[in-house]
Amino acid sequence: MPQKNSDELLPGTLDMMILKTLIRGPMHGYDIAESIQRISDDVLQVDEGALYQALHRMELRGLLDSRWGLSDNNRRAKFYRLTATGRNHLVGETRRWSRLSMAVSRVMETN
Amino acid sequence: MTLLHKTRLRWRALIKRRQLDRDLEEEIQFHLMMRAAHHHESGMSPEEAAHAADRQFGNRSWWKENIRDMWSMGVWESVVQDIRYAVRSLSKTPAFVTAAVLILSLGIGSATAIFSMVNAVLLRSLPFQSPDTLVVLWGNVQRQKVERRGASYPDYQDWKSQSRSFADMAAYVSGSFIWPKPGGSEQVSGECVAPGYFELLGIKPVIGRTFHPDEDIVGKTAPVVLIGKGFWQRHLGSSPEVLGKRLILNQQQFTVIGVLPAWFRGLTDHADLWVPFSSSASAADLADRGSREFPVLARLKPGIRLEQAQAEMNGISKRLERAYPATNALRAVEVSPLSTEIVGALRTPLMVLLGAVGFVLLVACANVANLLLVRAESRRQEIAIRAALGASRIRLFRQLLTESVVLSLAGGALGLLTAFWAIRLLTRTSPISLPTFLDPRIDWRVALVAVSLSAVVGLLVGIVPMLQVRSRDVHGALKESSARSGGHGARHRIRGALVISEVAVAMMLLVGAGLLMRSFLYLSAIQPGFDPNGILTLEISIPRIQPPGADSEQVHPDQRTATTARQLLDRIRALPSVLSASISFDYPFSGNSSAIRYSAEGQSVTDARTTPRAYRHRVSPEFFSTLRVPFIAGRMFTENEVNGSANVAVVSDNLARRFWPGQDPIGKHIKHGGPASTDPWWSIIGVVREMKFRGLPNNPTTDPDIFLPFARPPSAVNMLVRTASDPAHLAGAVRRAIYEVDSSIVISGVSTMKERIARYIERPRFSSWMMGIFAALALLLASVGLYAVMAYIVRQRTREFGIRIAIGATGGEVVSMTIREGMLLVMAGIAIGLILARVLTSALETLLFGISDTDAPTFIGVAVILSLVALSACYLPARRASRVDPVAALRHE
Repeated sequence: MPQKNSDELLPGTLDMMILKTLIRGPMHGYDIAESIQRISDDVLQVDEGALYQALHRMELRGLLDSRWGLSDNNRRAKFYRLTATGRNHLVGETRRWSRLSMAVSRVMETN
Repeated sequence: MTLLHKTRLRWRALIKRRQLDRDLEEEIQFHLMMRAAHHHESGMSPEEAAHAADRQFGNRSWWKENIRDMWSMGVWESVVQDIRYAVRSLSKTPAFVTAAVLILSLGIGSATAIFSMVNAVLLRSLPFQSPDTLVVLWGNVQRQKVERRGASYPDYQDWKSQSRSFADMAAYVSGSFIWPKPGGSEQVSGECVAPGYFELLGIKPVIGRTFHPDEDIVGKTAPVVLIGKGFWQRHLGSSPEVLGKRLILNQQQFTVIGVLPAWFRGLTDHADLWVPFSSSASAADLADRGSREFPVLARLKPGIRLEQAQAEMNGISKRLERAYPATNALRAVEVSPLSTEIVGALRTPLMVLLGAVGFVLLVACANVANLLLVRAESRRQEIAIRAALGASRIRLFRQLLTESVVLSLAGGALGLLTAFWAIRLLTRTSPISLPTFLDPRIDWRVALVAVSLSAVVGLLVGIVPMLQVRSRDVHGALKESSARSGGHGARHRIRGALVISEVAVAMMLLVGAGLLMRSFLYLSAIQPGFDPNGILTLEISIPRIQPPGADSEQVHPDQRTATTARQLLDRIRALPSVLSASISFDYPFSGNSSAIRYSAEGQSVTDARTTPRAYRHRVSPEFFSTLRVPFIAGRMFTENEVNGSANVAVVSDNLARRFWPGQDPIGKHIKHGGPASTDPWWSIIGVVREMKFRGLPNNPTTDPDIFLPFARPPSAVNMLVRTASDPAHLAGAVRRAIYEVDSSIVISGVSTMKERIARYIERPRFSSWMMGIFAALALLLASVGLYAVMAYIVRQRTREFGIRIAIGATGGEVVSMTIREGMLLVMAGIAIGLILARVLTSALETLLFGISDTDAPTFIGVAVILSLVALSACYLPARRASRVDPVAALRHE
């Protein structure tokens, strides 16, 4: 159920979180959504349509690679995996993000 | 990420679109299934869980659409879609599509056909090696006007040894050979060429070799011959043992040393064999510096410009003039690019035709734009609905443009086919003689032009209906019912402008065609100074050696030809319907007349510029009566004068008037050569009117003619036969009569005098015909366009007409009202067309003869014809307007 009070994502952060999630290995869309939600202690509620759009967009950009495989419950599922380009992209994005978030925190913490 | 990878993915997505759709659906279904299972675990019923999962995902089809769009190739994908849509929507209106495609194919096809000629003649380079540096040298004489003649052999040798601007030089001249083959002798055309000729042109033999320099030495010419591949195939059965084969040509034995490629027929374009240049004339003739026989082909050295070569040749001819004043006074050399020699005269007519065909294409465009307008009109609601459903204006424009481009590409494809066919028709049947090696055809350049032309046309005609979409309020269109939507100013203005421009262009082309045709009529009506009707001309070669088995009594060859000639004339005169026959060395438009220098009794001193020159013609006495040349004074030769080789002459009027103005020229004397010449005097016994002998509309020079009795006919003579019936039908009988006298006689050049004359005016005829065809096309298209617009207007105003008739307007009033409206557009078009025509006709000036480019009767006549045609195009719709049933019209709503 979509939670009305869930925090909206900053633009661009969804891609970054997907890449970060996939660093642990190939995953299908549902797992990615669950994983992000779980790790953020349910703070970040992923818009599922947007998630799939992001996955396809990144696949087209070559950041991700996909192949069909079997899920834990033996169903055919599409698994996404980081490509080398995706890995590099993640490194850059992570650096950018930490700089940005630190800057924002500093601004917010200054009295 | 490489572009390649992305392209591959997208490409895959495009062609495996269905697969992509299925995958996406499966992926989302899997997600929903997992989510539902999760909800189920936390206590929901299966139905609730499924609903919840669905809700959580959001608008599934919207996301799917987004993702699909991402995958598809963006622009490319939607272009494909546009095209698919365009084809679908076009196929709903087959009549419209047929009309538009036909009109476009006419326009594009004729433009392509003419462009292929322009391409062959003016754009493509000649099929010779580095043709840009090839030039032709002519020995010119500056007399009454600059006259082109040719070089003499000694001059040619001096040019060659003294000049430094040329890599090489080679004389060439056409020749004709009698070849006694089994089953009757044949006349074969050829060229006598200096050894460098083939290397200059870059022609390599397919078998054997070309001439060595030591085979072309005056007095010691090697009897060797090169043959064309066509000749080899036709006459020698493509025998591989052709080298070393002997051919008897002009009673001399030649050895074949090589075969040249089939496409190459020499610069004269009808050669089948080639012999060394020095065999073109006797050693004595070749030694004569005063002769002017042949052009010289040469190649400019790298880096040498034409002007530099010309300057050098000017210097050389000055030196020759000082060294040999008797023969070379006022003689110069003209250096002319080979391409100008071959195609120079075609440039202006072709460019005019290209312009004309461009305008035909414009009219076709206007017509199709008009059709598209009407079509857009009937699709207003469809377009409005699409706009209301969120299609962006850009998208709608693109859709309309795609339709018109698809249409015009179809028109272009059909046009290419039309052009292919038209080119064949043009080259086969056109009276214009293009050198065979130019070969107009559809090559990549022509095809490219045709395709881009179609695309441009498509965009051009597509813009017109868009002007309308822009000017319209979409909501208004939705509310409006189509039957009422008349009277929108913008639409009518566009349509009116189209009709006006069509009429204007048609007017312009009609004026151009009218002028060219009238000029051509003038040309063909020129009286040549004799009666050209009913005359058959032929050339006969009487073998000088006796056929084996003939009576062994030895006769002098000259005597024998004279006797044979007499027998031939007697036999031919006895044929039914033959009125008279004559033999002569040349005859009007035979193309082999040559000039001599002469002096008149008691003439004043002359310089090189005014030296009397005349064309000498040796003729039999019947020549004058056969041609019906009017005598101004005196009489023709008698038989006795001919047989006795009397020193008598018949001269043309100009000669008599030059030396004895106001006096009786009969009995005066002239002689061959200068005043000091020891030749016998000829006494003048008759004076004939000047004739067109060497060219139309005028002789190239005003030199007079001297006719001498034909005492000893050479072996090759021309025969003229006057008949009371059609001369073309006489050829067979004449041929049989000649063979009855001597079957070894070779007959060639059989044609009627009218045909000979026609050859001199073939280019004007071609231009006027083509122009006429294009003008007729433009007229047809313009009147169809006018008709369509008038019919549309009438249909739109059915209600109005119904009301008018209901309140008492008569049919006649409605007709005249409608016609007035149409003719207003026509008159505007004619006025603009008159102005355009002035621009066009000034370009035609050089092509016109006997008529001024501002000829008022043509302009007025064309305007009248155009108005009449337009009137009838308006009349039909107008009559329909007058027959509107008021009751039905008012219910029409």
